[in-house]
Amino acid sequence: MKEAKAILHDGARVAIIGGGPAGSFFGIFASKLAQDMGKTLDLTLYERKSFFTHGASGCNMCAGVISESLVQTLALEGINLPSTVVQWSIESYFFHTLEGSVEIKSSRLRQRGIATVFRGSGPAGSLAKGIQSFDEFLLGKAMEHGVCVNRSFIDKVCREGEKTKLYSAGNILQECDLLVGAFGIKGATGKMYEDIITGYKVPPTVKTAQSEIELGNDWIAHRFGHSIHIFLLRIPGIKFVSVIPKGDYITISVLGKDPKLDHIRAFLDHAAMKKFLPSGFKVPEKFCHCFPKISVGAARNPFAARTAFVGDASSTRLYKDGIGSAYITAKAAAHTALLHGIEEKDFREYYFPTCKFLNRDNLFGRLLFAANNLISFISPISRSYFNIVQGEQKNPEKNTPYSDILWDMFTGSRFYKDIFFRALHPWCIIYLLGAVVIYPLKKAVFSFINR
Amino acid sequence: MSEDSLLGRLYKDGETIVEEGMLSRTMYVIQGGKVKVVKNDKGSETVLALLGEGDIFGEMSLFDASPRSATIKAVGEARVLAIEYEGLLKRIKVDPTLALRMIKQMSQRIRDLNVRLISAQRTMHHASDSLLQLKKAEDVRIKDLEPNIITLITRLQEKLHTITEQYVHQDESLRED
Repeated sequence: MKEAKAILHDGARVAIIGGGPAGSFFGIFASKLAQDMGKTLDLTLYERKSFFTHGASGCNMCAGVISESLVQTLALEGINLPSTVVQWSIESYFFHTLEGSVEIKSSRLRQRGIATVFRGSGPAGSLAKGIQSFDEFLLGKAMEHGVCVNRSFIDKVCREGEKTKLYSAGNILQECDLLVGAFGIKGATGKMYEDIITGYKVPPTVKTAQSEIELGNDWIAHRFGHSIHIFLLRIPGIKFVSVIPKGDYITISVLGKDPKLDHIRAFLDHAAMKKFLPSGFKVPEKFCHCFPKISVGAARNPFAARTAFVGDASSTRLYKDGIGSAYITAKAAAHTALLHGIEEKDFREYYFPTCKFLNRDNLFGRLLFAANNLISFISPISRSYFNIVQGEQKNPEKNTPYSDILWDMFTGSRFYKDIFFRALHPWCIIYLLGAVVIYPLKKAVFSFINR
Repeated sequence: MSEDSLLGRLYKDGETIVEEGMLSRTMYVIQGGKVKVVKNDKGSETVLALLGEGDIFGEMSLFDASPRSATIKAVGEARVLAIEYEGLLKRIKVDPTLALRMIKQMSQRIRDLNVRLISAQRTMHHASDSLLQLKKAEDVRIKDLEPNIITLITRLQEKLHTITEQYVHQDESLRED
């Protein structure tokens, strides 16, 4: 006799582990689609953290940039980010190199299209500032869609036949038909799931360093404008530093090899950064900082029978748009579970291609960031690239291919594959190499004439 | 509310966001305030709809490359987020369900239009009945104008009937799909 297909029937119990964006997105999209299909799901989301707490304990620790494409996508989904959640609206990126600084704006739309947010309720000591947590906002949206939030910590999970049992402090909390792993990769939670889900392995990670420095809204508006500032300063061990304005604060995010607090202090003392700080600014003794891990690879087998992993626990875009990746994977998993089924083969056939798409795209991302590092360390090429981009920004209404490559890479607005093939266009390479030769010649001629 | 944390672009009262007849494939989502959809005919402006926070407009240009069918103006200050066409198409290719909300909104607009058309048709019928009653009373002035009035009413009725039928047909096709 043919076995009945495992599907999410009316009233099915779904447990979501983790209340970050991936968990909330899964809850929202599963609930919406179930409603369209005339079903009601019993969705419970487990998150012990309170995003109302200030400082690191109430924060899911990331740079907190909602990409241009995600802001637009969320708006189309009916999720408009309120001004209490958006700390700063961004319209451009400044790139600071040893050759100078250049501002890049999107050649497609002239608007403040990127949002910066705090994942928690703001840095330690920001109690009176009325900051609304992005994660809490999304969690609220999930609750509006009927998702129940349970603040217990799930410390044990048992698979028994078709059911999964969830325990907290020795007590069974619930049995579920579908388990959704939307946890972060910072703690030991991933290891617990590796032990019970055969073949599952959390993605590899790298450490980043982040800190919040209070400079005041007026100073930030005056000095940083509505721009995210990227510093490519050839500091050994550091790929790049991003400075992200957020209301009264700037978030400093250091990406490199094992960055430490000293790297942040050294960066704040660097001449390129000092000119953005008030005169007489002294690095405070204590400031809110953390060393979050970010995923730089893909989870192995992010699914099993009646189980799916989403967000950081599955696949995420390299260095950029982690929240956008959470949106993509959570929605794909929710739609697979409701439209196709919850067996392993269903997730393999309908959900896994989305993960593979992101993983393949990250290969192109790796090549792009490697090329970017190489360029920033080879002075003549770096200078030429800088000059080309600077030239393009003088006439931004015209075709600006080099600026667009940088914009899309650092804002996460486009998939890496798309950017990679644009960067590999023969004209793009020929023009850059030509500039490497022409600019020094031009400079020599001008200096000769001036002499 | 801090101006620094507002997304999109701010339009002042009466400022045009989209101009009727222009070619553009950008669509918009209202982040704050209100906008009106207006149709210009020989200098006079007819307000077709008033849209508020969260509403989408300009989505028709995504599905066809025709010029804008109406003008959109800000009512008071309105903050509007533009959605870039090429990026959106790429995202819809990865996730086709992203277009669902747009389709739902367009479907709702067709329904609203049907209601308005049927209401307009009822008014016309009512007007024509009243005129026919006047004709029976053999009013001299009305009698003089009778051929023109009858022709005009008949044309208007035919036109309204055709439009109503078209929209009802589109609505039914959407429901069947």
